Amino acid sequence: MDNKIYGLLAEFDTPTQLVEAARKVRDAGYKKTDAFSPFPLHEIDEALGIKRSILPFLVLGGGIIGLLTGLGLQYFVHVYDYPIIVGGRPFFSLPSFIPPSYELTILLAAFTAVLGMLALNGLPQPYHPVFNVPRFALASREKFFLLIETKDAKFDYDETRNFMQNLNAQEVFDVEE
Amino acid sequence: MMISKFDAQDFQAPEQVNGWRTISLGIGGIASVIILVIALIFPEYREQALRSWLLGFIFWGGIGIGCLGILILQYVTGGAWGVISRRILEAGSRTLPVIALLFVPLAIGATSLYEWSHLSDDPIIQHRQPYLNVGWWIFRAVLYFVLWGVMTVLLNRWSGRQDGAATYDEAAKLSADASKFSGPALAFFILVVSFAAIDWVMTLDPHWYSTMWGFLYVAGWGLSAFCFVVTILAFLVDKKPMNRVLGKRHFHDIGKLMLALVMVWAYFNFSQYLIIWSGNLPEETKWYITRMDGAWGAIGLLLLLFHFAFPFLVLLNRDIKRNAKWLAILAVFILLLRLLDMYYMIGPSPRIGTHGKELDFLSSFSWMDLVAPFAVGGIWLWAFFGELKKRPLVPINDPYLENAINHGKGH
Repeated sequence: MDNKIYGLLAEFDTPTQLVEAARKVRDAGYKKTDAFSPFPLHEIDEALGIKRSILPFLVLGGGIIGLLTGLGLQYFVHVYDYPIIVGGRPFFSLPSFIPPSYELTILLAAFTAVLGMLALNGLPQPYHPVFNVPRFALASREKFFLLIETKDAKFDYDETRNFMQNLNAQEVFDVEE
Repeated sequence: MMISKFDAQDFQAPEQVNGWRTISLGIGGIASVIILVIALIFPEYREQALRSWLLGFIFWGGIGIGCLGILILQYVTGGAWGVISRRILEAGSRTLPVIALLFVPLAIGATSLYEWSHLSDDPIIQHRQPYLNVGWWIFRAVLYFVLWGVMTVLLNRWSGRQDGAATYDEAAKLSADASKFSGPALAFFILVVSFAAIDWVMTLDPHWYSTMWGFLYVAGWGLSAFCFVVTILAFLVDKKPMNRVLGKRHFHDIGKLMLALVMVWAYFNFSQYLIIWSGNLPEETKWYITRMDGAWGAIGLLLLLFHFAFPFLVLLNRDIKRNAKWLAILAVFILLLRLLDMYYMIGPSPRIGTHGKELDFLSSFSWMDLVAPFAVGGIWLWAFFGELKKRPLVPINDPYLENAINHGKGH
């Protein structure tokens, strides 16, 4: 082993094998894991023990901030900074404040959703060590991969490699850093 | 012979439906007799009896007609939720003849219900006489039922033929026919609902008008239909045969659509309010002035909080949308608020001979407003459960049925 190892990558032929292997990996206590598949596999989150994303709460927070910004902005302009009588209404006319506040709610919630999704996924990420394995290109075509990182507390090169080989993997690759 | 692996015999409605049917008819029959006898025998209570009947009719008829709308919608959009709930929507749409029958008391009693049905020296009513007169109003109602009827008959016929389809191609073609028909039908459906809602409810006050009115009913009846379907699905989810079909994800999807329609309902209501508030014309604002005062104002606040804010916040939660029981409890809660919403629209409208003066809550409320929803509802549910039994609970030869069932089991 000349180069530093990022982790071990196991290759599978079918999604079922991947999900089964992922369950065993989770049950063995590995935490720093990831799975790769050419199409979305809904079972994999549960199989790998991935926790639910906090994104919905961020989006809710973004929406509430947008709502308060919209209301605050209009209150500041129409009531405090530059009050003008329009159509004989009071300065603080809530019905007319609602559409802009609503739009700002949607705007900030949508921004939070997109930017939060990118941030939580660690994107954009121009380099990832798994691409050092040439066969990994097949992850976008027909093969399924499971990764255990060396950073995992339970990681021991020989033991983990042996364990992954016993998961019915086609092959286990060293992923160079 | 069989072209799919699903057998119609395995998907018959559970036995319990017969019991629900009998109970519905019992309650509906007794309550209907009470209301209709009062309308016939006591002329002084006739107007109130008919208004209460109208409340029940608009609420329950709205569920049935809403089912037709959602049936059309799911052929346009596709999706697993549409395949697994289609037979319930179809059963709802096939209650149309009974809805038409429940409309008959209103048609016969139109002169006891609508101010414009009397010759008047009021110039506004005189001006509207060419459109608002009993003959033409009844003709329009017949036309609405005929148009809804054509949609109901065609969609149900294609879907029924699909169950007996001999080849996969034939089954796929019948689905394609229904989809092709449903695009234009959806546009007509929305127009017909708008006209019907204006004719039947908005003209209770012949002086007042709102251009948002039709959409309030398109969204409201759609929401009612979704809530009703969720309630029925939740009853069926732990019984044969639907326990093999329904999954958490189906409820999740319908829950999302309920959230969308709760928001659309609030959006249309607020639009109407904003337009009238901006215009600030006395002949328009009076509708809201009455309804924001006293007990009506409290009911309006209840609607804002519990027809919009509360379901909106609860439906944001993923776990509740995925739990059939909790979603159904929320759906029944929304249905109750739908009834209150209908009462909020019908209740305060001026009575005949009051020169357009709207009523406060105490002089408008009658015990018949509580009985009539049971009267119309019992009869409607009896018809619904009868229709539900007639076909397998899933479209067995639909090309997407297996995918739709598997979709529900995913995460």
